[in-house]
Amino acid sequence: MKPQVAFFDFTSCEGCQLNKLNLENDLLDILKHIDIVEFREAMDDKADFYDIAFIEGSISSPSCVERIHDIRRRCTTLVAIGSCAVNGGVNAMKNLHPIDEVRETVYGKDKYLFATLPAMAVSAVVKVDYEVRGCPMTQQDFLKLLISLVLGKEPPKYGSPVCVECKLKENECLYNRGMVCLGPITRAGCDAICPSFGQFCTGCRGLLDNSNLDGMLELMTSHGISLDEAKKRMLLYNSNEVQL
Amino acid sequence: MECFSLLRKDIPALIDHLGVFGQVIAPHRKGDASYSFETVTDSSKVVLDYNRTLLPLKKNFFPPVEKLMDFSLKDLSYTTVEVPLEPKVFFAVHSYEMQSILRLDHSMLSGNVESNYLNRRQKSRFVGISFIPDEFHFSESVGITIEELEGFDLYLNEVEDDFQVYVITKKGRSLIQGFNKLRTTEPEIVAERKFKTKIRYHYNRLPRVFQYAYHADVWAEVASRCVGCGSCNLTCPTCFCFDVNDEVTVTAESGMRERTWDSCMLVTFAQVAGGENFREHTVNRTRHRLYRKFKYITDEEGLPWCVGCGRCTAFCPAGISLPEIVNDLIREDEKARHHQRVLV
Repeated sequence: MKPQVAFFDFTSCEGCQLNKLNLENDLLDILKHIDIVEFREAMDDKADFYDIAFIEGSISSPSCVERIHDIRRRCTTLVAIGSCAVNGGVNAMKNLHPIDEVRETVYGKDKYLFATLPAMAVSAVVKVDYEVRGCPMTQQDFLKLLISLVLGKEPPKYGSPVCVECKLKENECLYNRGMVCLGPITRAGCDAICPSFGQFCTGCRGLLDNSNLDGMLELMTSHGISLDEAKKRMLLYNSNEVQL
Repeated sequence: MECFSLLRKDIPALIDHLGVFGQVIAPHRKGDASYSFETVTDSSKVVLDYNRTLLPLKKNFFPPVEKLMDFSLKDLSYTTVEVPLEPKVFFAVHSYEMQSILRLDHSMLSGNVESNYLNRRQKSRFVGISFIPDEFHFSESVGITIEELEGFDLYLNEVEDDFQVYVITKKGRSLIQGFNKLRTTEPEIVAERKFKTKIRYHYNRLPRVFQYAYHADVWAEVASRCVGCGSCNLTCPTCFCFDVNDEVTVTAESGMRERTWDSCMLVTFAQVAGGENFREHTVNRTRHRLYRKFKYITDEEGLPWCVGCGRCTAFCPAGISLPEIVNDLIREDEKARHHQRVLV
């Protein structure tokens, strides 16, 4: 029997799920290997058990926690897709402010009607087996993981920074073009898509393990931005990972 | 050695003439202020006064990403990729770049011969060119002058805004056969091209410095600034490490094996099964990089494995300078020896 696959969304823009439906050229090939049994954005059916559950979005309310526990109980393999699910993503910027202040800003006088939690990675609540990073995650990266799971082999892991992919493509370094780029400390796997088109890396795939953050801050400030600005850029996608 | 004079305006004609032999690969502008070796389609676009290209000439013999084989999961068969023998002329190559190819030859062709590399290398011809060193070049300090001719078939020396063409090999002679814009002349020595960056010691004294530099304080200082992006290795003309990966297509029926340049400055480079990492910290990796250039291979071959192109320094976002590291090691070594003398 083909693996039963489901997609779920939590606190997110739902873009990472939606771009599965843009895989027009590959969809028929993909469906030879898997059955999609639950996918709110594409179908009405629901299922009781899943071989692979893809989770998009961060966990940011008590009801999210209940739902993710429920899904985890009913699936064999759980994959976090997109930066919100992997490390909290941009949602986690709210964690930098006092929670009461955040609630007041968003809901005003009705703030007590909406329970909230700090935006957390899925892995902060339940066990996550694999992850696909990025904001949004790239389709290629997703396909590589899916095929690996179908074949029963270990999906690719990315341990090198975006700079490596830029160098392999012989891109001119954006630092030499007067920009400040997070490439040196950001996990690769995106094929350096932003720098290749002249946009500096904003770090959407998260930090590498053992990054030299002090060195990076010094590097960024030496290229003409303030320490405050440098920290803000670093925190954009990594509020849950960095203590500055 | 035959020597001819050639006017600057006749260079495109020379490039077109070389095109008769085979594909011509020469420096072109890339991005805002960078250069890259590309195949010539319009000889007037070739840049002669470049400082250095982003990637070294190495990329033409040992591509950044290279398919090694196609395989099928249905019948478990595979076909390896055969690299055809193609005549190519590499035009306007600096002396250190040529030296890096000769060093790569040693790395790739001694022991088990790298057949893809050999095939790409075999029918290649090299036309050198003189250059004016910028603040990053330091090849003289590793024994490579601007006019080092080894490896070249022809060499263009810029003299008073025009060029002198030196014919170095018989292959070079046949490249300019029938090109009628050359006039016989006497070679001139150009004295005013000087290197701005230098390593303080002669390169034959460096193995001794490195012999005692393993525990130097310099490494920790460099590691505190290094962000570990790997740009230094990936732009290095003598680095040859690679990683091999299998990619399966969406049909899950076939796939290919690829190899990609790797870098010993990356944290995953020395990671092995079980998660153990025997060069976990930047300080170990920085030291390893320098030792690969000035100690390990040098001990065996008697030559520094750095050619002084200055890429690792010019392209380091953190501004870490290789000659500066070596000079700091020399300073620390001198200090240590001074203390020894005082103690005795």
